[in-house]
Amino acid sequence: MTLPLTPVWFVALPLLLAFASPLWVRLRLLMPLLVGTPAALLLLAFVLLPEVRTAPLLETIVIAPPLGIHLQLDSASWILVALISFAGLLTNAFIWLADGEPYLRDRRAFVFLLLLIAGCNGMVLTGDLFNLYVFLEIAGVSAYALSALRRDASALEAGLKYLIIGSVAAVFFLFSVVLVYLQTGQLNLAAIAVGFGEIPGPMQILIGLLMLVGLGIKAELFPFNFWVPDIYQGSHPAVAGLYSGLLVKVFLFVLFHLVFLLLADPKVVGIWLMGLGAATMLIAEVVALRQEDLRRMLAYSSLGQIGLITLALGFGVEATTAGGLFHMVNHTLVKLLLFLTAAVLLRSFVSAQLADLAGAGRARPLAAALFVLGALAVMGLPPLSGFASKLWILKGFAEAGVFWPVALILLAALIEAGYYFRWIKVLYDPSVQLQAVHPVGRLAYAPMAVAAGLIILLGVAPFLVDALFSEGAQALLDRGATLTAVLGAGS
Amino acid sequence: MLAFLDDPKVLHGIYALGALTLFFIGLYGLLAKRHLLKMLISIAVMELSVYLLFIGLATSPGETAPILSDGLTAFTDMADPVPQALTLTAIVIGLAVLGLGVSLAIQYHRLTGKVDVASMTELKEL
Repeated sequence: MTLPLTPVWFVALPLLLAFASPLWVRLRLLMPLLVGTPAALLLLAFVLLPEVRTAPLLETIVIAPPLGIHLQLDSASWILVALISFAGLLTNAFIWLADGEPYLRDRRAFVFLLLLIAGCNGMVLTGDLFNLYVFLEIAGVSAYALSALRRDASALEAGLKYLIIGSVAAVFFLFSVVLVYLQTGQLNLAAIAVGFGEIPGPMQILIGLLMLVGLGIKAELFPFNFWVPDIYQGSHPAVAGLYSGLLVKVFLFVLFHLVFLLLADPKVVGIWLMGLGAATMLIAEVVALRQEDLRRMLAYSSLGQIGLITLALGFGVEATTAGGLFHMVNHTLVKLLLFLTAAVLLRSFVSAQLADLAGAGRARPLAAALFVLGALAVMGLPPLSGFASKLWILKGFAEAGVFWPVALILLAALIEAGYYFRWIKVLYDPSVQLQAVHPVGRLAYAPMAVAAGLIILLGVAPFLVDALFSEGAQALLDRGATLTAVLGAGS
Repeated sequence: MLAFLDDPKVLHGIYALGALTLFFIGLYGLLAKRHLLKMLISIAVMELSVYLLFIGLATSPGETAPILSDGLTAFTDMADPVPQALTLTAIVIGLAVLGLGVSLAIQYHRLTGKVDVASMTELKEL
């Protein structure tokens, strides 16, 4: 018997391995599987890539559409699935190789990390609104638990805050799902898209607002993102890197996937989303200037980049959408790198406060150098990958003749330069002699080096992936093709 | 005397009104109360109101449960089974999240003696 290689494995494999965890503890396979599972998923993604680029892969389990579990892997969701697997691989490899905090290396963390990956993959792949809610809760619950895993006061506080705000978001999202079903009688996304235009106008607005609150909280958009820095500060930096690099990207993707699929004319809400994105970006960047904690500063910087991606995707033109998808990937690589350096610095010096890290650059030269590299990539300096994607977005806006986002993005980059150089200056402060308290193994740097290498590679040679992101943007924007693929040519 | 309740429009109106009232009671509790357990209960009330709205509006008077038994052999005059299946799933998820929330709150209380969100001070703006 051969197992067919289909998209369902992206959800099924991490779920099955997570729930069989007692077996892996007994066989002493916990750590190899923690790293091996996302590696296997990444491999599967690359095996499926040629097929996905010719036509979207649709998989329906149980009954024919519109009933049944429905998964859809097109170029856009492929980018996200590959990104999720890759981000999971790097973080899990760091947790294994850094030989650090025991609470991140036991069975519970193993289960939650794999469930987070399964939930994220499910959200990206599913073609069904209710399954989207279920995967949202799977990813959410594992994220709450991961935050609280350290079980000291700050970790529990982060977990509780995350759980309360995340549950509220889920209730609002569930409310919108219920209204959609009562109005259209459908749960399949493509079938809903066909019937959505016939829902009365005020009900459409109510559904849209409920979804915006639900997904806006989860995707950390202004004004729903007041809770984010607390969570990032209370969680382990490696886990915070997963939130910033993976979870938020998935929710942003889901938000824009729904906007582009359900609405016949996405421009109507696009301008509002662009406004939210611009506000998210500017406010977060300005607040980041005065942060004294490395994790909080990175959280605000992450929010700023989320705003930038929202601005680019909300415009709904192929060039900015492709650039936005590219920037999603770049930002994930950069924030993983920065949060992993934060993990190394926090471990070495026991504190992540600006004052306590003065002179850390000489005690941990490699970590500080990688931090500088990541900072330069966030700002978008050539030849790093942030430059390539920001240039693509800016070119897209300029070609369309819209210049206010260009000005805002450049202004945001200037503010970013301000606060990152403040931190770099302190890290290389020559007047302080700082001694590392705890050792960090050499191997811990391996996942960070991989991320750094990719940041440089994508910056030097963005033409390697150009075509893929253009196809992704087309798949995301082309509503008609998706509907035809799912429902058949007649609709 | 209560025959007017058999009119689906009246019944659905009452269900919608009741569910929305419950939803706003939950929202009020969430925004006005600072006790951890009260906030978690408020979220549970909001969730419940959404379930009630779903089940209430998806079923009309006169429809029976979508189960083939007791001489029923065909699916006629039966309620749409999808909302009920979805609500069951959502109840299970909601209970799991509530359980996790309460257990975190208990651990937090044991560790710090605090039950108030407003007094959480480990993580905040400087």
